[in-house]
Amino acid sequence: MTPQLSWYLALSAVLFTIGAVGVLIKRNVISMFMCIELMLNAVNLTFVAFSSFFRDVSGQLFVFIVMTVAAAEAAVGLGIIITIFRNRESLDVDDASTLKL
Amino acid sequence: MLVLLFIVFAGLAVGCAVSMVAQRNPLYGAISLIGVFISLACLYVTLAAPFIAAVQVIVYAGAIMVLVVFVIMLLNVEEEERLPLRLRSLIPIAVGLAAILFAEAAFIIFFVQASPATPTRNISDAGLTASIGAGLFTTYLLPFEITSILLLMAIVGAIALARRGGLLPQDAVVVPGAQVLARDVLDPLAPPEAPPIVAHTTTEVERQLGLEDVRHLVDDE
Amino acid sequence: MEDLKHLVLLMTGILVAFTVVMTMVAYTVLAERRVLGFIQGRLGPNRVGPGGLLQPLADLIKFIFKEDIVPDKSTRFVYFLAPVIATVAALMSIVVYPFGPDIHLPFIDKTIQLVVARFDIALLYVLGVTSVGVYGIALAGWSSNNKYSLMGGLRSSAQMMSYELALGLGLIGVILQSGTLDLYSIVEQQAGHLGISGWNMFWVQPLGFLIYLIAAIAETNRVPFDLPEAETELVAGFHTEYSAMKFALFFLAEYVNMFTVSMLATTLFLGGWNGPFVHQLPWLGVFYFLGKVILFLFLYIWLRGTLPRFRFDQLMSFGWKFLVPVAIINIVITATIQWTGFFDLVGKYLKVSTGWWG
Repeated sequence: MTPQLSWYLALSAVLFTIGAVGVLIKRNVISMFMCIELMLNAVNLTFVAFSSFFRDVSGQLFVFIVMTVAAAEAAVGLGIIITIFRNRESLDVDDASTLKL
Repeated sequence: MLVLLFIVFAGLAVGCAVSMVAQRNPLYGAISLIGVFISLACLYVTLAAPFIAAVQVIVYAGAIMVLVVFVIMLLNVEEEERLPLRLRSLIPIAVGLAAILFAEAAFIIFFVQASPATPTRNISDAGLTASIGAGLFTTYLLPFEITSILLLMAIVGAIALARRGGLLPQDAVVVPGAQVLARDVLDPLAPPEAPPIVAHTTTEVERQLGLEDVRHLVDDE
Repeated sequence: MEDLKHLVLLMTGILVAFTVVMTMVAYTVLAERRVLGFIQGRLGPNRVGPGGLLQPLADLIKFIFKEDIVPDKSTRFVYFLAPVIATVAALMSIVVYPFGPDIHLPFIDKTIQLVVARFDIALLYVLGVTSVGVYGIALAGWSSNNKYSLMGGLRSSAQMMSYELALGLGLIGVILQSGTLDLYSIVEQQAGHLGISGWNMFWVQPLGFLIYLIAAIAETNRVPFDLPEAETELVAGFHTEYSAMKFALFFLAEYVNMFTVSMLATTLFLGGWNGPFVHQLPWLGVFYFLGKVILFLFLYIWLRGTLPRFRFDQLMSFGWKFLVPVAIINIVITATIQWTGFFDLVGKYLKVSTGWWG
């Protein structure tokens, strides 16, 4: 018996759900960012699983692009987080609820 | 054998993901997330996608998470405190929605027919570096080039966000004990070549800016 | 059953490679102290055993029996995890290096390959494992609850990440020429005349070799790039608060990193196990490989005894403003030469790999 495609899809759904729950629960901006990365990785797993089972390389190419976009997003996002911390002295999203400092 | 590997790596991935969400210290969350990435990379290897696995380790676990860990260390982030939920009614709603989700999954697994042709798992050669290179530079050349411009945008953006100040004019002098401030930072109507403001206290700055009677909340000098 | 046999064979291979590497690393530590002593006009340690050959054993006993001091306010879990990450990441990359050519054992009538795991993305695997090794240092600096450790840890990780970029770019030239990421094939392509003329260092990638060498020395935090762990600057950098066995793990990780980087340089640029008469006597390949690695280790020790160290901002500006542009220029030159087929004639005469275009 070999792992079926549905197993990988189920694992990806579980990881995505855990990431979504994390984004909703967490109050620290950096923790929310990490849960978003987890959701992106769950989607990557889906792409790679389909690419492997249907012998098509496009899935893996899309994963490549997704990783690049995630890296760019991480760089700029963390820069924004540092700037927010400098101005507000707090990393709590509940404290950052108004545009005025 | 493959089933055992799948169970081990999937278990590790889910365990580290749950740990990441459950941790209150963001640094431990970051370490758990690195665990998730590495177990996902091992899963990609079992899916005959070695190139993507290596790129996942190099890019995600080796670069993005190092950036996150640096930021956590630089900002000295502490643990989150537990705060009570503001809306008590959210918990039963969440339980209800989860029950609906489970019911749907059970219905699909037990009562819906399997789709006809799930292909058999042999080793596919779609994951070799040569096939990825061939696809990336022929069919998907446009996304590849656009991604390079995207990375350039990210570099410029990150550097622009990280600069502190740097808005002083070139001929600014340092007067000991005084602050030298560029005039067009404080006064939006001033031209960029206006002489900078040199002052020791806030009242001096206001005087030089022409704001005579500003109410101070705190008496300073 | 076939799987189980394969697994047992792999485990044996890993054990043998691990033993070889650990022994050589232990004696590298001794060799460094002796050679540094000779450079500085003194003898190194030569009392324990004949000529000091049992010194590594004495050091090991000392490390085991030393008192293990843990700082009071350090983050416990991360403090214990950091040396583990550093050592594991350092040791994981020895499985892809080919220690010699295929050896045909006459009495069992089987051919064994002297590489533990042969797969077609070996070079990317090495780069990935090196990237993960940065965590050991960053987490060690943070968890010691000591501002000198934090400074040393952050500086060291920033340096490692910057020079990893230059390292990867310097390797692209070799990949372009060989057309594969598989280290075994790269070594096979460097056969050439008499096992010497095909080496990538001479005709194929001279500039790439220099870039790789400089980036590798910076990557392993050795002189002249060792400001983050220099004794006179930051006490001992990120491993200030580590004592006894955990410090021994960091020490070991640094020397294994040195060894690994030398093995990679040998495999990619110096022809791996290639040398004169290696096809008639395959065992000679192992000696050639280890000899070349020892040559690189000696170069490391020589540099440590000779050069002063860079200041941190000089180090970072060198890495980003000089090494990365030179590496990119190297890639452009390599690709242009391959595309125009400029040196193909010379390449065929010297039996060097002229790239997968030609």
